Amino acid sequence: MRNMQHLSTDRLAALGDEQPTPDEAAHLASCDACTRERGAYRSLVAMAHAEQGAIGLPLTRWDELAGVYRAEVPAPGQSSPSVVAPDVVDIAVRRRASRWPMQAAAGLLLLAGGAMLGRASAGSTLLPAGNVAAVASNTPIGMPTDQAVSDSLFTSVADARAAQQRYELLYQQAAAFLAQHDSTGLGQGNPVAYRSRLAALDRVISTTRDAMRDAPHDPVINGYYLTTLSQREATLRQLNTALPASLRLDSY
Amino acid sequence: MENEQLTVQRAIQGDESAMRALWTRHAPHLDVVVRRLVGRDPDLAADIAQEVWIQIFRALPSFRGDAQFGTWAHRIAVNRTLNALRRTRRLAAVEVDVEDDSASVEPEAERAILAASIEEAAAKLSPGARTVFLLHDVEGYTHEEIAAQLGITAGGSKSQLFKARAKLRLLLAHLIDAPSAALRNTNAEHAAPLY
Repeated sequence: MRNMQHLSTDRLAALGDEQPTPDEAAHLASCDACTRERGAYRSLVAMAHAEQGAIGLPLTRWDELAGVYRAEVPAPGQSSPSVVAPDVVDIAVRRRASRWPMQAAAGLLLLAGGAMLGRASAGSTLLPAGNVAAVASNTPIGMPTDQAVSDSLFTSVADARAAQQRYELLYQQAAAFLAQHDSTGLGQGNPVAYRSRLAALDRVISTTRDAMRDAPHDPVINGYYLTTLSQREATLRQLNTALPASLRLDSY
Repeated sequence: MENEQLTVQRAIQGDESAMRALWTRHAPHLDVVVRRLVGRDPDLAADIAQEVWIQIFRALPSFRGDAQFGTWAHRIAVNRTLNALRRTRRLAAVEVDVEDDSASVEPEAERAILAASIEEAAAKLSPGARTVFLLHDVEGYTHEEIAAQLGITAGGSKSQLFKARAKLRLLLAHLIDAPSAALRNTNAEHAAPLY
């Protein structure tokens, strides 16, 4: 079916996670444009799947949550919810008033990520050798901190993989933050260094894209790919700040 | 660390440290689910996230262990968030625009060129297209499940998904396409190489 018309946009979008019909498969085998578009939609779907393991800054705080819960469900032997939590009145209003610590925590989280990134980029290890307990006690905000959880960080491969994905996202967010706010990075103000890094990152992206085609659902390959894309975006932003205004890029 | 099933059992019996352990372990992921579905209103997302956890603790006695606790809690998070959005009338807009193909992208998004991430790009979609895309491609719901959740047909869900993907493919072209292709396109618009 070599003379079949190009596949419609809707159909190509559907082929992001569906199998082509025999006619469509025959067309794809002979049409580079449709094959490339199908690959783009498969990449988009893979990017979306990768979002599932993401984590973000916390929306809830345990002390508030526990207060609301105690107010609704009194502990055994306690006669009235109001006795348990007399101060839980209009929790939403109070919570809004107390959100500034969460915002401060958000800043600290990003700074913590930035510090880790800085140590890594400086060639030093992120953590003292073998000091897992220290990891637990210095865990970034929003990550497990209580004793029951921190006694052992992971219970299974899936658990560890989920944590890996979380920190990959954190790494990407920290990179974006540093690109915008860090003025101490190597090569700051030097467009040549950023251009060299961009060129190198493009080669890495090209290689990982090839790997993605071979193993589109492999979490390791996806992780490398997304992290490299993130670094490329960050570098592009840094390059923009280093270039004269007349040469800055609106998009790329 | 103890088996999560034991933690759940202790939480059902009212052990607050067990509840906290469940919250500590699962909140980072569930909060993201809520934040994604709510979109650009962080205060509303925070209120809904709190409702989600209260609902999870209330419903714990009904947890039978057929699925992982995280999977079960994830479902509650999605259901509760969609209910909350319906309550604030935002989901009414979803149900209307899902049936209206022309509304699959918010008008200002047409003027936007590129987005930095899937989350940013999805924010440019209309509520209907965004919700269907997030539920299907990110959260892994089937079209039948989405149809039941949103009160639409499975066909309507598919149609919105494909339109959402087509828009996202354009908004994220710089991330999706090969850098070499992007370089060719960009160089065609500039006299000198970009770097």
